Amino acid sequence: MTCEELRDMYELYALGLLEGEEKDEADAHLGRECPTCRKSLHAALAINTMLIANSPAAAPSSKLRRRILATVGIERSSWSWAAALAAVCMLAVALWLGRQERERGKELAAARDTLMHVQGDRDKMLEAFRFLNQPETKQVGFQKGPRGNVFVNSRAGVMMIAANLPKLSGGWIFEMWLIPKGGAPRPAGLFTAADSGDAFHILSGPVDIASLGAVAVTIEPEAGSRAPTSTPIIAVPVAF
Amino acid sequence: MFLKLLPAALLFQVLQILLRFKDDPDLARKLQARDPHAMADLYDRYGRIAYSLIFRVVRNGAVAEDLVQETFLRVWNRVQSFDPSRGALGPWILTVARNQAIDYLRSVDGRMSSGALELDRLESPTLFSDFEDSAVSIDRARRLKTAFEKLNPQQRTVIELAYFEGLTQTEMADRMKQPLGTVKTWVRTALKVLRDDLAEAASA
Repeated sequence: MTCEELRDMYELYALGLLEGEEKDEADAHLGRECPTCRKSLHAALAINTMLIANSPAAAPSSKLRRRILATVGIERSSWSWAAALAAVCMLAVALWLGRQERERGKELAAARDTLMHVQGDRDKMLEAFRFLNQPETKQVGFQKGPRGNVFVNSRAGVMMIAANLPKLSGGWIFEMWLIPKGGAPRPAGLFTAADSGDAFHILSGPVDIASLGAVAVTIEPEAGSRAPTSTPIIAVPVAF
Repeated sequence: MFLKLLPAALLFQVLQILLRFKDDPDLARKLQARDPHAMADLYDRYGRIAYSLIFRVVRNGAVAEDLVQETFLRVWNRVQSFDPSRGALGPWILTVARNQAIDYLRSVDGRMSSGALELDRLESPTLFSDFEDSAVSIDRARRLKTAFEKLNPQQRTVIELAYFEGLTQTEMADRMKQPLGTVKTWVRTALKVLRDDLAEAASA
């Protein structure tokens, strides 16, 4: 195929949708650094960007920002009953720091981050209380190694409270999975644990309880995985 | 059922992504220096548009949030290969976001995934180097909208299926119960209309 013939195909190529001989040809041209084809690919990437950027506006929950920042260490996603007390302490620290000169700027930023974390903890606790307060929420315990409970609510989602989780080194994270009866595990969110080994994770949204077979947790690379890559440290059969 | 592209109310989003922030290179350098606060800036800049795109594809808020998280972690983990001075941060993030969403959709639908290696390659930060500043602009986005509206219903449908459902031409032919050759012609003609219209604008 000539570069001109391939030019029509680079949008699909960049989307990962080109197949068979056409894809092989495009790979071959790009593999030998064909300047015409590289230019076509860049033009295709620009068109693709402009097309996919134009999706109807939708807003994520405010918790998403905290979750993402927690994964890079700005905030911890664990929780504790001392959150309220810590909030008061940190507020005092923040106010004091606010009176200092510019050289204290870094310390103030750190205090602000901690406050955000505390606020995040409080929001999570309130979400948990709301979850537990619904009469149709069902509960299953687990005790081998990590211990805790899984709470399932067909409208609200799945919540896990766990203790005694192993300490993770850098680059690893816990990932929860929902395993349908006779089906493959589906990703149900990433979470971290406090130094004490306590953790708390909610997957919000409707859940088909009738088809749910188990809830599991594995240790995954910090970007998470689309399918489990390790043996579950928690595997809780559920049958409602 | 297909969504209209570029509703007027979203113009601010388009402006945001298409203009590319002037200090994106600085932001990329901070990310490379593993400054976690840069992640906050990155999310504030591109989080909403990444979520909008992913939500459009997966149509489930909780799943969309998980996939946005994976998108930003993927960017954080791969940013060392990104060229801060020549790379295009927004287009890269949007590409990663779309790939995450489409890969999820394919796995849920029981369709064969493009494969981790293939996706990795197509969202490699090095692909987004040497992106011409003029390649992605407001004027070009407007031209693209006009050109898209000129497409006939079949052409619009195949574009939607490719970009927002991740269907190959073979899968589109199955879905639409049309011969593969016909679908390929629709796709090719649609993309040619879009491409030619942009080229015409550039030479005008």
